[in-house]
Amino acid sequence: MGQRTTLPEDMRCVVLIGIDFDGPSHEVGRGIAPLGKHSWGNYSARCGVPRHMEMLASHGVPATFFIPGYDAERHPDTIAQIDRNGFEVAAHGYLHEAWELQPDEEEQLLRKTDDILQDIVGKPVLGWRSPSGRKSERTMAVLRSMGYIYDSSDKDYDRPYRLRFGKGAEDFIVELPNNTYSLDDFPFYKFSYTPPSEVLAQWKSEFDAIYGVDRFFVFSLHPRAGWGSGTPSRTHALSEMIKYMKSHDGVRFMDYRGFAQWCLQHGDNLEEVSFA
Amino acid sequence: MKPYPWPDGARSVVLLTVNFDAESFDLKDTSPERLFGRYSYGRYGVRAGLPRLLDLFARHGVPATFFVPGDDARRHSALVREIAASGHEIAARGLAMENFATLGDKEMEVLRTSQAILADVTGHAPQGFRAPGGELSPRTLGHLTDMGFLYDASFQDADYPYVYALQGGKTLVELPSVFALDDGPIYAARHTHARLRAIWEDEIRAAHAEGILIPITMHLRGDFGSTRAARIAVLDGLLALLKQLGGVRFMTCAQLATHALSLGLPTQPDPYLAHADTLAHAVYRGDLSVKPL
Repeated sequence: MGQRTTLPEDMRCVVLIGIDFDGPSHEVGRGIAPLGKHSWGNYSARCGVPRHMEMLASHGVPATFFIPGYDAERHPDTIAQIDRNGFEVAAHGYLHEAWELQPDEEEQLLRKTDDILQDIVGKPVLGWRSPSGRKSERTMAVLRSMGYIYDSSDKDYDRPYRLRFGKGAEDFIVELPNNTYSLDDFPFYKFSYTPPSEVLAQWKSEFDAIYGVDRFFVFSLHPRAGWGSGTPSRTHALSEMIKYMKSHDGVRFMDYRGFAQWCLQHGDNLEEVSFA
Repeated sequence: MKPYPWPDGARSVVLLTVNFDAESFDLKDTSPERLFGRYSYGRYGVRAGLPRLLDLFARHGVPATFFVPGDDARRHSALVREIAASGHEIAARGLAMENFATLGDKEMEVLRTSQAILADVTGHAPQGFRAPGGELSPRTLGHLTDMGFLYDASFQDADYPYVYALQGGKTLVELPSVFALDDGPIYAARHTHARLRAIWEDEIRAAHAEGILIPITMHLRGDFGSTRAARIAVLDGLLALLKQLGGVRFMTCAQLATHALSLGLPTQPDPYLAHADTLAHAVYRGDLSVKPL
């Protein structure tokens, strides 16, 4: 069975680079003081984010930073810098809630983080990625009511699609599904301790399989030390990956916001689904 | 990013650090009369591993810093003196692999006793500390400054040394490390030594290219440590690589901490305070783990 979303012939592959900021919120939210070996979230603002921005700028490619509200409160200058450098600021939970939330609590946290990010960058936030991938139909309704146009948390497809959660004309969100199992740095660097050179080879072969076929390459990355790509060896692997993708014809690097807007403007290209 | 001002215009500094973690590590899971069989990997590190590692460092003429739990130092005082006499630094690591995050009121006493044991064994009070298991309490850094320590080497949050300014105007140098350059997690994941070599070579070359700190953490033990013959050969090759790269300086932790303090760079606040209120209300959910299939 083919997948019904189709991207035009000249878009041989859309590449979305998403960087989940994941500062100390990740540990603090779990009740762990960010000390000693639990301190690696501090690396994001201190070293990883500046290094990633520098590397991305050297290639002239856009990216989206998904940022927990708690980290934004503690590093407003870094967030403002991300925006000033032309990268997209998007939402990623408040305390990186990697656990089930009650609907009311979730709504309150989504709005809180949205307020924090908007206060810093002075423009609307258009997208969200769930910390840990937990979400519900209700989540999407709240996001839409806040003016968000996309979500990048579902794992159920290789291509973008319109995810309908209600009957109203506006009751849908552009879903940009990601893959946190093999197109993410976290599993390799936290669990298997795979050498960066092998991770690079893995990602290249993922790209080879997607290029010209599903045409949609969604990266989920982290700028922290420990299980992220913030350190020099791993940022170097990312840089090599970008070089590799750029060497192919028709590769379009976009930020998530830009591609979601493209999806809204090219509704006929997108499959619409509802799982209600 | 701006390069860090390493001493004498070096391009990068290498810290060779060794977590001694011998019987004290096995005794977390068993009793003294059962330190045999599967609980003898710590003793391997002392009997077979240490001579091999000291010989390797001597052949390369490089200094290292050994973090020694107080109980291990008492058990092997002659060996610890021999390490110090070979020009290496001896630093503190609690008494018996305690988890400092949960020691509570005993924390100060454990630090004091371990400090006294090392001073007694080597003739000098240790200047540095690395928390067993990388676990600290919100009070640990303050205790260290109160007791006259120069540095801590437990965090994983920067590419270069930095200085904490803690309560009472006291300072403590932080020498951060990184799990990617720690043999423990890699060998504990049962990777081959060839794979460790591949990971460390990636890490070392990239760190050197950017001129950041290269903090290498080794263990003496026969299980997840680096002292088996084949693993020593890997270290041998990596030390040769480090020397070929150029502009690399090998230092003890105390030497680098002294340098970092002398620079007078802007300090960092207590790393706990910014999160204290939130943590007071946070539910403890433990470290993130992945569910097995």
